[in-house]
Amino acid sequence: MSNSFELKFKANITNELLARNSITAFLSPLNIDFEELNEFKTIVSEAVSNAIIHGYKFDGNKDVYMKVTMYEDEVELIIKDFGVGIENVESAKRPHYTTRPDLERAGMGLTIIETLSDDLKIHSIPGMGVRLIVRKKIHPLTYVNE
Amino acid sequence: MDNKIKITSFEEGMVVKISGDLDSSKCFLYKEKIHEYMRTYGPRHLIWDFKDLTFIDSAGIGLILGRYNEIERVKGTMGLIGLNAYSRKVISISGLFSLMKEYSSLKSFLKEEKISI
Repeated sequence: MSNSFELKFKANITNELLARNSITAFLSPLNIDFEELNEFKTIVSEAVSNAIIHGYKFDGNKDVYMKVTMYEDEVELIIKDFGVGIENVESAKRPHYTTRPDLERAGMGLTIIETLSDDLKIHSIPGMGVRLIVRKKIHPLTYVNE
Repeated sequence: MDNKIKITSFEEGMVVKISGDLDSSKCFLYKEKIHEYMRTYGPRHLIWDFKDLTFIDSAGIGLILGRYNEIERVKGTMGLIGLNAYSRKVISISGLFSLMKEYSSLKSFLKEEKISI
């Protein structure tokens, strides 16, 4: 049995918390530990801030989409925006790569997502947006909320 | 846990204790607070205390890196204390351990770095 939810929210940086808390609530019936739950939260935060900062350049009128599906032993996260897209996905994945050094962020977002997850796919068409598909295994599989 | 920042002093240095979540929405304010302290006291060393940290992402890593550059400029040392497995992992992925070390406490930082108080 799979379970899922979808969320659409404005590209406002304060909505990172909304996105993080939604995945916390969604995963809370599972008995996963603090570290694993936090890894999910960090992945969501990085993906959402990329959409807001780079995709939409802080345009709070635009929408960020998030879909989370729980499968038997893994969770799939899809974070989507219809912003500027990524010109070169391989460069973007390089550690410390950033197009906005002025923001004092580390340029580590995609590296962090890739390291914390089991699989990361980035689909992007410049000018059309970005769709990030992340898969991450969950342990243990005690589903207490049947 | 409440999100907050607490800055305390030691000889020539400051301890920045961040509790709760360190994300994009907090970084600007925290940077201002750290800068305010730096302007007033001119510390050479900065220790981050993450004992009560519940969340960190690349925005937080950016906050650390930005301050690292400033501490480096005054030939000071930066260190980390109170890391849990999760924060250690995010910090490690970001490559920060090539720039600074983790210490078991402020006391051991002072001892290892031979800083007298």
